[in-house]
Amino acid sequence: MSDRQQRLAALRDTIADIERKPALAEARAMVKNDAAGFPLLAGGLLQEMFTDERRNAGAVLGFALAQAKGLLNQQRLAVIYLQLAEDAQKLGLPYGPGLMSFGLAPDALILVRAANMAELLWAAEEAVACRAVAAVIADIGSPSRLLDFTASRRLSLRAAETGSSIFLLRYGAGREASAAHLRWQLLPAPSARQRHDAKAPGPLRWRARLEKGTLIKQTEWLLGWTENGFSAFASQRRSQDRIAAGAPLSRAVPAVLADRLPQAG
Amino acid sequence: MGQNLADARAMVPGLTVLELDRPLLEAAFADFADWHSNASPLVSVLTEMAGYGDLVLDITGVAHLFGGERAMLRLLLTRLRELGYTVSGAIAPTIGAAWAVSHFARSQVVEPDDLDAVLEALPVAALRLEQAQIAGLVQMGLKTIGQLRPRERKPLQARFGLSLLTRLDQAFGMIEERMVPRLPLAERYAERRFVDPIGLLDDVLMTAHDLAIQLAIRLETEGLGGQAFHLFLYRVDHKVMALSVNSARLTRDPDHITKLFSNRSERLAGEYDAGFGIDMIRLAVSSVAGLDAAQLGAFSHQDMAEDLDQLNDRMSSRLGSLAVLRTQLVASHIPERAARLVPALVANNDPAGTGMRPALVRPLRLLPVPEPVAINAEVPHGLPASMTWRRESYKIEKASGPERLGAEWWRSGQRLHLVPVEKPEKGEKPPYIADLPLHDPDAATRDYYVVEDETGRRFWIYRQGFHRPDEPAVWYLHGFFA
Repeated sequence: MSDRQQRLAALRDTIADIERKPALAEARAMVKNDAAGFPLLAGGLLQEMFTDERRNAGAVLGFALAQAKGLLNQQRLAVIYLQLAEDAQKLGLPYGPGLMSFGLAPDALILVRAANMAELLWAAEEAVACRAVAAVIADIGSPSRLLDFTASRRLSLRAAETGSSIFLLRYGAGREASAAHLRWQLLPAPSARQRHDAKAPGPLRWRARLEKGTLIKQTEWLLGWTENGFSAFASQRRSQDRIAAGAPLSRAVPAVLADRLPQAG
Repeated sequence: MGQNLADARAMVPGLTVLELDRPLLEAAFADFADWHSNASPLVSVLTEMAGYGDLVLDITGVAHLFGGERAMLRLLLTRLRELGYTVSGAIAPTIGAAWAVSHFARSQVVEPDDLDAVLEALPVAALRLEQAQIAGLVQMGLKTIGQLRPRERKPLQARFGLSLLTRLDQAFGMIEERMVPRLPLAERYAERRFVDPIGLLDDVLMTAHDLAIQLAIRLETEGLGGQAFHLFLYRVDHKVMALSVNSARLTRDPDHITKLFSNRSERLAGEYDAGFGIDMIRLAVSSVAGLDAAQLGAFSHQDMAEDLDQLNDRMSSRLGSLAVLRTQLVASHIPERAARLVPALVANNDPAGTGMRPALVRPLRLLPVPEPVAINAEVPHGLPASMTWRRESYKIEKASGPERLGAEWWRSGQRLHLVPVEKPEKGEKPPYIADLPLHDPDAATRDYYVVEDETGRRFWIYRQGFHRPDEPAVWYLHGFFA
């Protein structure tokens, strides 16, 4: 059975190559170079970051900003954060001094507060097409009919074309079909021990699970973040090879589900 | 005209009477005035005598475009008469004289040399006076301006007020009278007139692109760039639509300008109404300053910042300038004051702001309005043990704090407690103490805590005021950490 699935994965890679996604190929090369820690992913990817509840909004924004920080350089000057104006009170707005504590210069972040989802998607596409933008972070407070497979396909093609990344922050347990290159489920994890005060919150920890995408082989991550970059910690190693970990399915799986076999298993 | 209602009713018993809708009429007349800016850029409505009806155009340096003043006056009047309006007009050296001649004489051009002669023949009512003033003058036997003018000025001022003399001087050009143009005055513009009116928005935008190229060529020869661009659409039915866009940095790039207008026009999709067509389009530029031609470098990063600014312009033109924001740090320790969101279009002038790096950790997301939470602590002064927020309860595993942030008393117009002053001795002046309410640190101080629940979510909460044994503490949630 695993032999068949390996062949399936190989076929999928071939299809990706046929589709000529330069950004994907580049990213794959990068992952191989840095096998030990959490890989620094190259630009040009559409990544969906799901978290179960809105109250985890801080963690999921942190994960996106942490990846975006690695993409900022002299050529790519800014990170664009998009949010619906009505979601500001529900999710909170990125806070300048907090960005500083997090390790990001506040003037590198441009906030865009769109009035509706159509405008937000327009702004996302416009921003990702700009070559001076390192990453676009779209904070989608609630699912929308407009953000369907076609919309995400548009965004992913545009991202692959220009080399800016786009992160969609999503909330809830539902997963729709999307053209994202990577899909993460991100949850906060209890923080590490504070060295001087056991009662105080220590260095932050996130539990990230890769639900879709073949760029990274390891699917379960326990991550830490400091101003200097990610640190990965020992996680459940048994699921390191996702192909081996996926249990055989009892029935045929619709195409939409086929990308997240380990979850179904 | 001038007939009262009772007389009119007596003549025609079945008369239908309607009251004038003045605000509507004024608005319509204002549109009408804007439309006249296709003759001269300086148009205003004189509202001193009536809310509508008097239109003033400054035609300095414009008349030759219409073949002289006489021809221009004839053109302006005939085109209105053809539309069915009763209209009279005059061209004169002063606004007062033009008003007087147009209201009390036939339509004509008054040459500067004839000004005195023409005005002196007119009745005093032509001076834009109040009814009481006119009645008083007539009672004195002063019927024409010519009779009024040689009179002693001081008695006239004593009897009729300064406004009479002001009006008199304005009419003869002794003192200046200013007009306020309705549309922003732009020195540099490009315009196109159409033989056949156009209606489609796409056509308008294409024309805007052509005009932007014309304007860019002109700006380039002068070495200038602009930051604000206005597109005026003159409709056949005497209305003007104006669209304005702004740019973060000086530009004259026609493609960029056109893109901004097309984004801006998406926002008015429903409001766009060409009526019976548009017969003239004008593109004007304001906020102009010197912009040197820049050479493109293969390896320079300068054009990256420009790209980013252009992206901001495009997003601002479509979403509104208040929707695209940058953070500016402010030197304040009150969390919500420490960061200010400013439109990205203007933020470039002061990138760093005055803020500094906070000493302690700050949350990644801040709620615009703090939300009340219920907090339980094991001991009164201790760390929070559980929290209820948005109807969910959280068991707090780890917490650190408090970080005490005092209120900024210097902003609230309050004074601090002072060391008790010694009683002044006899004959000595008591020391100065400002007459301000006392600052109450008890009420406005906040104690911030970082708390973490059992799943690792981290919140920033604070207690308003000091802890008191007799009343329950008030807690708020202010932000989320990563």
